[in-house]
Amino acid sequence: MATTTAAVTLTSDLLSDNISVTTDTTCMKGGTTADGLDQMDMGYIEIATGDQYDLFDADNALNKNKANKVYISNDSTDETYYVTITIDATVVGRLYAGDWMFIPWGAEDATADIEIEAINGTNKVSYAYFHEGRTLIAS
Amino acid sequence: MATTATVTLTSDISSGFGGITKTMTLTKAGTNNDITETTGFSRRKLAAATAVDLITMANELVEPSDNTAAKVYIKNIGNNGVIDKSSYVKILIGATGGTTQEIGRLYGGDWLMMPVTVVDDMDIVAHPETDNAVVLEYTLFFEEA
Repeated sequence: MATTTAAVTLTSDLLSDNISVTTDTTCMKGGTTADGLDQMDMGYIEIATGDQYDLFDADNALNKNKANKVYISNDSTDETYYVTITIDATVVGRLYAGDWMFIPWGAEDATADIEIEAINGTNKVSYAYFHEGRTLIAS
Repeated sequence: MATTATVTLTSDISSGFGGITKTMTLTKAGTNNDITETTGFSRRKLAAATAVDLITMANELVEPSDNTAAKVYIKNIGNNGVIDKSSYVKILIGATGGTTQEIGRLYGGDWLMMPVTVVDDMDIVAHPETDNAVVLEYTLFFEEA
């Protein structure tokens, strides 16, 4: 079984009793307890301003309603730069320079793409996508 | 007054994958100033397969500033120490009873951290797969309006 783990350490001193969380999970295929996610994609792109692009396309029956995991990092260094993250037509939030996100992705229908748009300048984005398969397009 | 989050991803799926480790300091939008507000750390037990608001943006005691650099952390911790990796809670954004958009399925033990708009009616919604009890831990970091 392929093994993928995701760990996070979260600390904050905003409260008088500090928040300190450390946890990890092993990323399994949807609905299973013994079979880990076994396929992945990763990359790095520079996204110019002016349009919204599909970073991950949900038009894929192999990943529909599964336990896919998505990591996106904005590697830009100018603090005013950010990317908007949208799923289908819903804006999830803004990922500013230096920020990262890690989510499960339902990919529940063909329009549930993860879309990205760069604001204030060309943003540098790293990503990793752990999943159960991709429908290959015949050449 | 800093808030930091470090993610570490490891995998043996691909021999060329050396892992990912990245730390972010949560800051206010467009600045290097630390984020200043949090809901604190909360837990909620769900025991019905119905959608409920985990965080209702319009009900926050400190009004969040919309479309900034807010982040939410959520973990499915199972129930009474039992973590069911085969059962999930759907996490969605939107208005319970209205329009929502699924983010994904948080199986037992899984966690997420993501940016959120904190716009009213863009609530964080949780929808368990079954009626079996499950507990979510969560916290929201945001800017004051």
